Amino acid sequence: MVAGVTIPRADGRGMTQHRLEVAHLSKTFGSARVLRDVHLSVPSGELHGLVGQNGCGKSTLVKILTGVYTPDPGGSIAVDGRRLRTPVPPADQREAGVSVVHQHLGLVDDRTVWENVRLGHYRARGPFRTINRRAEQEAVAEVLARLDRTVNVNQLAGTLSAEDRATIAIARAIQDHRPGGGLIIFDESTRALGKSARSRFFELVRSLIASGASVLLISHQLEEIVEATDRVTVLRDGEVVGAGLETRDVDEAALTRLMLGRHLVTHGRVDSHARDQVAASVRGLSAGQVTGLDLDVRCGEIVGLTGLMGSGFEDVAETVGGARRADRGELTVGGRKISLRGRRASTEEFIRAGVGYLPERRLAEGLAEQMSVAENLTLPRVRSRGRRLRTGRAWQAEETAAMIAKLDIKPPDPSAPVGTLSGGNQQKVVLGKWLAGQPSLLVLREPTQAVDVGARHDIINAIRETARAGCGVLIASIDAADLAVLCDRVLVFRDGTVTGELTGDLGQDDIIHATFGVPSDRSDQIPEEKR
Amino acid sequence: MSRPMDAARQEHTDVTDAAQPAAPGRAAAIRHFGSRYAVLGVWALLIVVYAIAKPGVFLTTSSFESIFNGQYALVFMAMALLCTIIVGEFVDLSVPAVFGFAATILPVLVVNHHWGVWPAAVVAVAGALACGVVNGLLVVVAGVNTIVVTLGMGTLLTGIALWMSNLNTIVLPPSGFSNIAIFPIGGLYVSFYYGAALALAFAYVLGFTPLGRHMRFVGASREVSRLSGVRVNRIRFGSFVAASALSGVGAVVTVAALGSYNATTSDSYLLPVFASVFLGTAVIQPGQFNPIGTWIGIYFLATGISGLEDLGLQTWVSDVFYGGVLVIAVTIATLLHRRSSSA
Repeated sequence: MVAGVTIPRADGRGMTQHRLEVAHLSKTFGSARVLRDVHLSVPSGELHGLVGQNGCGKSTLVKILTGVYTPDPGGSIAVDGRRLRTPVPPADQREAGVSVVHQHLGLVDDRTVWENVRLGHYRARGPFRTINRRAEQEAVAEVLARLDRTVNVNQLAGTLSAEDRATIAIARAIQDHRPGGGLIIFDESTRALGKSARSRFFELVRSLIASGASVLLISHQLEEIVEATDRVTVLRDGEVVGAGLETRDVDEAALTRLMLGRHLVTHGRVDSHARDQVAASVRGLSAGQVTGLDLDVRCGEIVGLTGLMGSGFEDVAETVGGARRADRGELTVGGRKISLRGRRASTEEFIRAGVGYLPERRLAEGLAEQMSVAENLTLPRVRSRGRRLRTGRAWQAEETAAMIAKLDIKPPDPSAPVGTLSGGNQQKVVLGKWLAGQPSLLVLREPTQAVDVGARHDIINAIRETARAGCGVLIASIDAADLAVLCDRVLVFRDGTVTGELTGDLGQDDIIHATFGVPSDRSDQIPEEKR
Repeated sequence: MSRPMDAARQEHTDVTDAAQPAAPGRAAAIRHFGSRYAVLGVWALLIVVYAIAKPGVFLTTSSFESIFNGQYALVFMAMALLCTIIVGEFVDLSVPAVFGFAATILPVLVVNHHWGVWPAAVVAVAGALACGVVNGLLVVVAGVNTIVVTLGMGTLLTGIALWMSNLNTIVLPPSGFSNIAIFPIGGLYVSFYYGAALALAFAYVLGFTPLGRHMRFVGASREVSRLSGVRVNRIRFGSFVAASALSGVGAVVTVAALGSYNATTSDSYLLPVFASVFLGTAVIQPGQFNPIGTWIGIYFLATGISGLEDLGLQTWVSDVFYGGVLVIAVTIATLLHRRSSSA
């Protein structure tokens, strides 16, 4: 189940009228056929899941449904029994009540709630075609009332909580829907939400479904799909391999097998590789909510940092990784002492000391999309391994080939621009960028975020191998499944304080219970002096 | 990793790979070649058309020399502009003004203040360098918008240069100083070879040195570079200083070649410099700013204008040609970038 989140199941079964009916839909790009004869039926009042690995065609399908792509001839899309033209014109899409909430919710942070909701819907009036602010605000208030939510329509979107941001995105999506109608496609939208906001999000989704709307939920979180949806459709390599499966009859393993086409080798815990020698020690760290934290990571040890979003575990990772300055604190790694207070014009000092930092947002912080796989992989070492007047090719080729092989990066082309790789392979490149430097301390933020199960498998194995080689690893993540299979111990943060330290044979539920404050016999209270 | 897992992943990968663009075949290779060298083809076509239209005028040694001997100032300024564009500072509008400022200091010190030409040249380059330092401090340290800073700095420096020269053309007394620019080698001025060497050296730095790699990454993403240990601000600051230094050196070469300078001409360089740099994105490395492409773009433009003037068109044709090429080049660069991004 999703960490501590109770996801209400919509009671939409038994309704037979199809809100969305996709038949014989194919899409070919050049010589590549990315969708083959896809069928998808979403009845009215159903929460329908759509899953598949990266590159299986989910995004292409959504782009066809929203008129971005034109499908191959022969396919059809019908909403409430009415066939839509293709490519789907925006007006037809609006008329049919099909809307999308994208991965990052698509909000403009420095605009108000009402401006965000009404974006693209402003009604210009009068001889000067002006916007009637009051009318627009009332329209937004009305939509929010339908959602039974109260949000200040004049507040800037950037200042809203995660829950309210999701509410605004949903309000924007449903404003044109007729009562009791409409189809909302959530394209990895829950990624943008913390765990606690996710629970509220699904309450909202349930209320929409109760009113007759249908929802197509696209997610990499199989737990979420199994827990929340009525039925699920599985895509593999552009084909439907599981059509409208009742989720009460499937579990995550079954879905994963369908996605992969074979039985997934599930990750079991492996013996700890932790040694006595300390790889890195943090003393007196104060950053954000965290004050005076001391932490030792031993060579070969994998330490998890978790908690609710904003509880402080992210601050620890970002400051120890060198991404931003702390208020106070010192890091000792590889025999070097680094002040965590210093200005962070670059992370050069951390890299020299042997720290590798994998940031949370791979495309904004980890990779330059238009540069090649090899250039991205070797960037942190071009100065140390190259000569001033010549970067040198041999060591770059060697490092790149080693990382492509180790992480199974596809396509195995060092000169391919990173932007052309799938999300999972991009994440492998970011990880390889640091593994190639054989760090003493590896700091990872959400290392398996938005990657498919195959990439996750490779990433988990690579992290384990790195630890086995003696590297200390810090993983800051809200993904209890990752932490459970990887970590030797997990520190749980709440309000900037370590409230629990889990060790031994960790289970996902133990971490979830400790995170959400549910008493668990595995959550050992740590001595007062360590907090 | 277990074998079933490998097999499953291999199966997935095979299909995913199939979804990638088809392997470069003959057509793709021709397209690739065309996108890299189309401008060279158009250049050759221009020469053929002009040669047919004005055989006794265009295909002459003097025409050839005027095209290749007269672009030294543009080459230095275009390379200066590239310095900041490569690191993502879009765009340094002060380059022609810094050039004009240095080109005015030199003759003013020699003629009005009776300095030796070499000390005056050093001061001119140092003056340009100081302008780069100020630009760098304001943009990188203070965080002021690049366009605002360089537009203001450019206008300020042009004003100071006009004041120093009293709006006059200041002529250097005849001396051997001119040899640093117009000494003939193989029928061309030595300044032509300076430009060629500068473009080659710049291309080498970008392609083969850690500094060049860092510069390109900073241009691609500052945050990615910062988190990868690149000293982003140092590189941004250095690019402003290098741009101004190149402008200063270009100014000294120009004054040596011309034997004089008129500060009112500085602004006229702005459009050709931008047109050359953007046209360069359609040559050699499609969609990317690059020194060799820029260098070729400069001589392409010079050929086009020279031919049009030989056909009897008035001087207004240079504005039309440079402006038109700038718009077309930017459009081509945008389309190439979009194509490479979606590949």
